Amino acid sequence: MGALAGLVCAAPAVLVIAGALSSGPTSPLPFFWASVAGSFGLAVVGGGFAALLGVISAWLVAMCAFPGRRFFSWALVLPLAAPGYVLAYAYAALTWAGGPAPLSVSGFWGAAWIYALAFYPYVYLAARAAFASQSACALEAARSLGASPLAMALKVAAPSAWPGVAAGTALAVMEILADFGVAQYLGVSTLTTGVFRAWFSKAEPQTALQLASLLLTAAVGLLVVERLLRGRRGFAGGSARWRPLPRYRLGAFWTAVAFLFCAGLLTLAVIAPLGWLIRLAALRPLSDLALLAEPLGNALILAGAAALVTLPLAAILAAAARQPDPLRARLGQGGLFLAGMGYAAPGAVIALGALAAFAAAREAGLVGGLSGATAFAALLWTYAARFAAPGAQPIEAGLSRVSASLGFAARTLGAGPVRRFWAVDAPIAAPSVLAAALIVFVEALKELPATLILRPFNFDTLAVRAYAYASDERLTQAAAPALLIVLAGLLPTLLLSSRIERARAGRRP
Amino acid sequence: MLLLSLSRRRVSRGGLAVGLLSACGLLLAACGGAPPREPDETQRVVNVYTSRHYDADQRLYALFTARTGIEVRTQEKRGEELLALLQAEGDQSPADLIVTVDAGNLYRLQEAGLLAPLASAAIADAVDARYRDPNGRWTGFSRRARVIAYRLDAVDPSSITSMDDLANQAFRGRVCARSSTNIYNLSMLAARIERHGPDAALVWAQGVVANFARAPRGGDTDQLKAIAAGECDLAIVNHYYLLRMQRSEDPAEREAAALIGMTFPDQGPNQPGAHVNISGAGVAAHAPHPAEAQALLEFLVSTEAQSLLAELNEEFPVRPDAPLPEALAAIGPLREETTPLSALGQHQAEAARVFEAAGWP
Repeated sequence: MGALAGLVCAAPAVLVIAGALSSGPTSPLPFFWASVAGSFGLAVVGGGFAALLGVISAWLVAMCAFPGRRFFSWALVLPLAAPGYVLAYAYAALTWAGGPAPLSVSGFWGAAWIYALAFYPYVYLAARAAFASQSACALEAARSLGASPLAMALKVAAPSAWPGVAAGTALAVMEILADFGVAQYLGVSTLTTGVFRAWFSKAEPQTALQLASLLLTAAVGLLVVERLLRGRRGFAGGSARWRPLPRYRLGAFWTAVAFLFCAGLLTLAVIAPLGWLIRLAALRPLSDLALLAEPLGNALILAGAAALVTLPLAAILAAAARQPDPLRARLGQGGLFLAGMGYAAPGAVIALGALAAFAAAREAGLVGGLSGATAFAALLWTYAARFAAPGAQPIEAGLSRVSASLGFAARTLGAGPVRRFWAVDAPIAAPSVLAAALIVFVEALKELPATLILRPFNFDTLAVRAYAYASDERLTQAAAPALLIVLAGLLPTLLLSSRIERARAGRRP
Repeated sequence: MLLLSLSRRRVSRGGLAVGLLSACGLLLAACGGAPPREPDETQRVVNVYTSRHYDADQRLYALFTARTGIEVRTQEKRGEELLALLQAEGDQSPADLIVTVDAGNLYRLQEAGLLAPLASAAIADAVDARYRDPNGRWTGFSRRARVIAYRLDAVDPSSITSMDDLANQAFRGRVCARSSTNIYNLSMLAARIERHGPDAALVWAQGVVANFARAPRGGDTDQLKAIAAGECDLAIVNHYYLLRMQRSEDPAEREAAALIGMTFPDQGPNQPGAHVNISGAGVAAHAPHPAEAQALLEFLVSTEAQSLLAELNEEFPVRPDAPLPEALAAIGPLREETTPLSALGQHQAEAARVFEAAGWP
């Protein structure tokens, strides 16, 4: 089942690879090694920075007491709602020629900077959930044994948070590999920009497909590494009694450090770029907003439908990978790998893979033309293929919180599988299913390349409007739709944040 | 595992898979079963795929609807992806009129057999043959020139009479340009390849790369801003970006634009003329509403629409009798290269390879 779900997600990507294997001649790529270096360098540096920012901020917010902690704990999730290319445009205006901060965010380091700011929330969410759900008893035991805060962080909290951090970092790295807009705008050669260069500039689809399959291979490799790092570690035990986590009361100096770190991160990732967008949007007449009502509605409908279609797939993927039978679990994890390929591939590549599938189906007489409702179905399939992996991650993490002993206990008490599922597993996993739905919703809201290719007539979304203006270099007009994307993503993002905050094991008194 | 352990007991595995598949099938049937084209008995429509994202175009479409009662439905697409999309849609494509920027895109659409022959005397009369497909399947409807922008207080315009000058050693470290993946740059180099061959084009590109003030990044407007900020003195841009900056809502952009001049290169008697590209359109090979599509295209090249495009979008018209607005007339007469537009499409892939060889990312 899991493998089947994985295949549904990977089918467009697999079609891409099949196309590459059945290839004709390809030309050598002078930028090939630069592209490989660009992609992997950015994955390591950008992903590393994202992990670092995410873990530190999650640790501060989950484990320390300082003024503003509550505010930061949800505000730090906000960059999740902003597409990476919007951040890149904002930073270009702020730091390039004539901007107020002459740092010139561009090239490799500029892109790494943008990626770190745009994608650290993936790590932050996962790490904060892990820190927040750890056992207060284990920490208290460590403290009573005389462990220093640092030792506690490294020896108690870190090992149990590791799977979450690894999963969040893997998501961030896959986003980086799939990104086109930021790399293109800031002038970095990556495998993804290479795909577009070969395909559209040089009219060499075979070269493009081969580059794309390299990208997909990298994604699979990444998932393997993540699994290996995560290992077969499981953490049993932990009391089910709910108690507030013991937060460190920081001294004056460390309070200032913690506050400044969170405030600085928030300023760089949210306040500065969004402030600039607001300034630009304010230059336009208010009547612009009325034109955006329909794209807003379309975007919400599409993102909602995407979440509905993707969620069952993600749940099957996550559940299949956690089967007790080792062989089946392997198969299930294979499904997750396949879904990961869909996530790490550029959206345009997946969309064209879906197009190829529909073209084949049309030739076989199975479907009509790719217009109207069929195009809508193809678009939803593309969303599912791309976002099942990030949706499966939180569900899997949620399921891993269901300790085996709970299931055994329920069994001893005579509960059948159905009752066990509804009484034990479902309540514990429910918040993570909601988290998955929200992640897919926000991702679909931001998605651009596939939406651009596959949406039906007279069906613009916010991302399409923002792109249309930005690609024509009219950033003042692009600002309002870009801001609306962030606003529309805001509510789900905040919901997501608060759900995870509350997802502590045990029952409140 | 949870869902499965549940299902394994209740239903056979195969049964579940079948159930799920049929559920998927139902979903697809529910979505895909609708008729691909809704019959329009009362309302005439024309479906437009466009890679032009201009408000001016929307104004023109609205005007067309007001005149003819034909509803215009648009879908904005990226020019590069149009080909793959239309091929996948095949004879079921809903597209009637395909509007795109860059002659290379039009050439590729025509080569792929995605455009129907244009049998319109109105278009043939209005548009200079140079801006029409020799095979009669598309027509241009607006022109944009690739020009040299320069910093007024740093560059003597008499030292930049040709694009060749940007490869001149005198400008070491003073030239800004955007990425070579950009279609404007690709077509410009394709025209050079047509005139002088790939080897000479490579030498020119290498000369420009040697003069780069910084690695290419951003769009045309970003190059102009870099000139204003003093990061470079010269840049290659399309003519309307500077005009647009001069009229920007953002006062900072207007101030920046005041520091910049632009010049049409290669205007001399022994020079080839400035590089000019077109926006154009053709009727889709499988258009459900070909008559409406042709009517819209004829409207786009009418004197009225042509002067509106020039006025609102600062693009040059394709018909000689359309009046030029002040802003365009003020930047002087434009003598353009005579390289056939089809050459832009023919040499674009080679241009990408030459750019790569020159190290222009």
